[in-house]
Amino acid sequence: MPRTAGHFTIRPRMKFSLAVYSAPHSAQAAASALRFARALLHEGHELYRVFFYCDGVHIGSSLSTPPQDELDLLAGWQALQQQHQLDLVVCIAAAQRRGVLSDSEANRLEKPAANLAPGFELAGLGQLADAVAQSDRLITFGG
Amino acid sequence: MTLHIVSKSPFSSTALSDCLDAFGDGDALLLIEDGVYALSGRMAEQPAVKPVYCLAADAAARGLQIPASVTAVDDAGWVALCTEHNPIVSWFK
Amino acid sequence: MTKRLLALCRQAPYGNALAREGLEAILAAAAMEQVADILFCGDGVFQLLPEQLPADIEQKSLQRNLQALPVFGVEQAFICSKSLAQRGLDIDTLVQGELVLVPVDDSAALIASYDSVLSF
Repeated sequence: MPRTAGHFTIRPRMKFSLAVYSAPHSAQAAASALRFARALLHEGHELYRVFFYCDGVHIGSSLSTPPQDELDLLAGWQALQQQHQLDLVVCIAAAQRRGVLSDSEANRLEKPAANLAPGFELAGLGQLADAVAQSDRLITFGG
Repeated sequence: MTLHIVSKSPFSSTALSDCLDAFGDGDALLLIEDGVYALSGRMAEQPAVKPVYCLAADAAARGLQIPASVTAVDDAGWVALCTEHNPIVSWFK
Repeated sequence: MTKRLLALCRQAPYGNALAREGLEAILAAAAMEQVADILFCGDGVFQLLPEQLPADIEQKSLQRNLQALPVFGVEQAFICSKSLAQRGLDIDTLVQGELVLVPVDDSAALIASYDSVLSF
C-alpha cells in the first residue's frame, strides 16, 4: 500500500517488464500494452524490458502504415523508446517465422529485404527469462 | 496476493470462469478490454469475487456503466494495482 | 536472486501457436537455470493427450517439446484437476514419460506461490 509522507504519497519505484503477444491493429492488447507502458513510466516506475513474442513481433515491423487518424503503435513505441531508452526486444525465433528481419538476419538468411524498425532489436528467448529474473513485476499482454 | 487481469468477454471465452476457479482469498480481479462485458451480466449486481476493478476507459469505450460493486480505475490506478499485487496473471483467451 | 516463474498454459495444441510458443519459452527459461514450472489448465490439458499425430496437418508434434522439459530440469508439470474433470479426462490416461504430472486442486494457492506468471 502507498505510504503517505506529509502531503505526498510515496510509492516504491518498481521495475516492470512486459511480454506482448498481440498483433498490432488486430487485438486491443497491443495498444493496451503501450498505454500501460506510458502509464507506468509516468508514475515514475522503471520499464526494464518489453519482450515482443508470438504475433506481437509484428509491432516491430517498420512497414506498418496505419491511416493518419488511427493510433500508430510503431511510432508510439519508438517515441517511448527514445524518451526512456527502453529495451524493446523482438523474439528472433518468433520473428523469423513471421517475417520480421533485421539487416543482418536478412543477409544471413538471404532474404530480399529487412523490416525491423529502429528502436527494436532481435534477441532470443533468454531475454524473456532474464526479464523475469530482473523485474519486480511481469505482465503478459495477449489475446 | 495475485492480481488477475481478464480481457475477454465471459460470453465468448472461458477466461473469466477459469480465472474465478483460480481466485484465492486476498486476490483482486481487474477487467480490461472485452473483459469489461462481464459488467453486463450477473457480476453487475453481485460479483462472484471481490474486490473487482474495471478499467474505466475500456468500459466507457463500450458504452457500459460501472456498477457500484465494481471500482473504476484509470491507467495510473492500473499501475498502482500492479504494484500492490504479485504475481500478475493475465487471462486473455 | 532467483525468481520463481510459473507458465500458465491454457491453450490446446495446433489450433494456434500459443501452446508451442509457451513451451518454447519455458524451455528457454529452464535452460537459463531459472525455476520454471508449468500449470496446464483449461484446454491446455489437451496438450497432454497421448498419440497425437499432427503430420497430416503439417505440424510438428508438441510431444517432443514436452519430453524435452525434464532434460532441462522441469521434471514435473502441474495439471488442474477441475479442467481434467470438465473434459472427462483421467490423469492416468495422459502422456506419461519422464515428465511427472501432479494434479492440483487449489490453483489459487499454487499461483500465489510464484514471483511471476507468464500466461500462454
